[in-house]
Amino acid sequence: MSFPDRDVLHRWAPLLVLVALVCFFSLVNPNFMSLRNFARIGISATPPLMVAVGVTFIIIMGSIDLSMEGAVAVCAVVFAAIFIWLGGTLASWAWLALPACIVVGALYGLLNGLVHVKLRIPSFMASLSMGFVGIGLSLLMTGGDRIRVEDKIFRSLLTERYLGFPLMVHVALLVILIAWFIQSRTAIGRNFYAVGGGEELAHASGLDVKRVRVLGFMLAGVFYALGALFAVAQIGIAETATGYNFMFVSITSVVVGGTALWGGNGGVWNTLVGVLIVNVINNGMIVMGLPRYLQDGVLGLLVILAVVLSTDRKSLAFVK
Amino acid sequence: MSFIKKFIEQEAINRRNFLFASAMGAGGLAAATMFKAGPARAAIEDPAIAWSYRDRTNPYWNAIVSGGESFVESIGKSKADLINLINEGSSEKSLSDVKALLSKTNGKLALAIDTNDSPNARPVVEAVVEKGAFVSTLWNKTADLHPWDFGDNYVSHMAWSDVGPAEQTATILFKAMGGKGAIVGLGGIASNNPAIERRNGLDNAMKKFPDIQLLDYQAADWDTQKAATIMASYLTRFGDEVKGVFCANDTMAYGVLEALRAEGLAGQIPIVAYDGNAQAVDLIMAGELLATVYTNPYWGGGITAALAYHAAVGTFKPSEEPHEHREFNGPTILITKDDAENFKKQYVDATPSYDWKDFWGPSTGAITY
Repeated sequence: MSFPDRDVLHRWAPLLVLVALVCFFSLVNPNFMSLRNFARIGISATPPLMVAVGVTFIIIMGSIDLSMEGAVAVCAVVFAAIFIWLGGTLASWAWLALPACIVVGALYGLLNGLVHVKLRIPSFMASLSMGFVGIGLSLLMTGGDRIRVEDKIFRSLLTERYLGFPLMVHVALLVILIAWFIQSRTAIGRNFYAVGGGEELAHASGLDVKRVRVLGFMLAGVFYALGALFAVAQIGIAETATGYNFMFVSITSVVVGGTALWGGNGGVWNTLVGVLIVNVINNGMIVMGLPRYLQDGVLGLLVILAVVLSTDRKSLAFVK
Repeated sequence: MSFIKKFIEQEAINRRNFLFASAMGAGGLAAATMFKAGPARAAIEDPAIAWSYRDRTNPYWNAIVSGGESFVESIGKSKADLINLINEGSSEKSLSDVKALLSKTNGKLALAIDTNDSPNARPVVEAVVEKGAFVSTLWNKTADLHPWDFGDNYVSHMAWSDVGPAEQTATILFKAMGGKGAIVGLGGIASNNPAIERRNGLDNAMKKFPDIQLLDYQAADWDTQKAATIMASYLTRFGDEVKGVFCANDTMAYGVLEALRAEGLAGQIPIVAYDGNAQAVDLIMAGELLATVYTNPYWGGGITAALAYHAAVGTFKPSEEPHEHREFNGPTILITKDDAENFKKQYVDATPSYDWKDFWGPSTGAITY
């Protein structure tokens, strides 16, 4: 048996990091290694997973999207408002709130992409600003209040379990499969890689790069909407603060999973592993009883370590 | 070093005399103009009214602002006449917003404010006093800053002492557990005053119940989602050992409850909270939450604005009021299953109408340091 070469090692490095973390935390506290705890990690990982998958497509293109907090807030609030307005239970016309939420997410992403491409504003700034617009918009819609979604059928995403995991975890896996299909089996998915790998080359080959970019942001918006739905299912509340904390977790997860910020490589499975790494760290630190004032620092160090181990930086001429 | 102490005391007296003299001077001036011009003139005629606070995404601050709006309507203005200054958790923004508004209104301002943190109260108050405007503060100020050191312009300060009520909720929790067993705790942002006081309340109660063990107490930063994640991790770490949960506010309790619901444990492990939000009251009635504490932010928001306004227009003269009318604690109401329904009828379904000129009726006495 020969030692695997560098490429193979780098491809599997994020997964090895995840396995190592799980082993480490299990050694410290054996309770960590239990189906019930994995289900708990699954629940807290599901909403950020959706958001991280969305932003993965953008990062593959070599752009960045920082609008997720605003997008999730708007989608969550619109969903909850329509859901309550139409009856407040999935057994009525209120189910229409689900597709409406997805449409709102897509429109939000479309607008985000248009601001970036048509106004020629760097994606960093365009999306960051659109994120603030979203937070403001959701605040305007709610007046700062919270909308409660207590429908038992909708909340069964959290409360119903199959094979030990809540329904939302199964649905999320299905969504991951769809995302993987888009990434590897559709033209638009491959075009993301083409744009990220070398924009000029893609343009010279006749690819409408602007269209690909706008579509990418729109697709990301759809996944943010799914993230919003799971976040509401998890807590039973839709409010402006529903969107908070998603930016750091999702971007970190994508990078820790091995998708490089300069674009052109990585993918959905990397992101799944990255989200699990971040959530395992968060869960593990409390399970091993680390005091809160150490947690933020340790999380930062572990993220740096994970990025060092899981991304191939040797071929890079420079890092910006 | 007694000569230093003596010097400081002397300076304080000099300063007080100086302020007193200037207040007399201003009063004399007002009296003179009163006799000269026909109609009686207040200190400031029709001042702008503003509320400066942290954020709008929190039910607590929403209630504060609603109270402010109710007061503004009670003097025949519209809600939109209440100027909202939102500092987003930044003391610098808080101060610069106030200074900008003072310039814009040329000091014709009645300001109600939570200065975001304690040290920021002094520069805010000094800026207001310098422009001859009127300010009432809420929650944050340092212990050495007193309204009576600034004549009439620093009208009042209101805060709530959370130690006692938090001790009460913890006691209710321990009694529900039969006086023994292990609990976990979730606290607010570690440096926030209410977070510290509520933790102290828990500690006080624990001294009286030696068989209660605190397994862990982590800050969830008042955040629902963080609280849910931390509670889930607690369940992994301690499993069935957890017999009760102490939360430093309602929004974190919602997260704890959802983490328990995911495991089919909602309503089986007693939880206590703080703030008395509408949702928490519903949860108490449903038996999923044991107790919470209402601090009546609606009244606090209204009366703080009312104090600044009425001092500005000259309805009362702050410097003639006793100290307990210038630094006082706000009201707290403990809510449990027994009184939740009554409370809901009185405070949630209907908004009680307050007499915004009864400045000190509901207060619970002077602040002690």
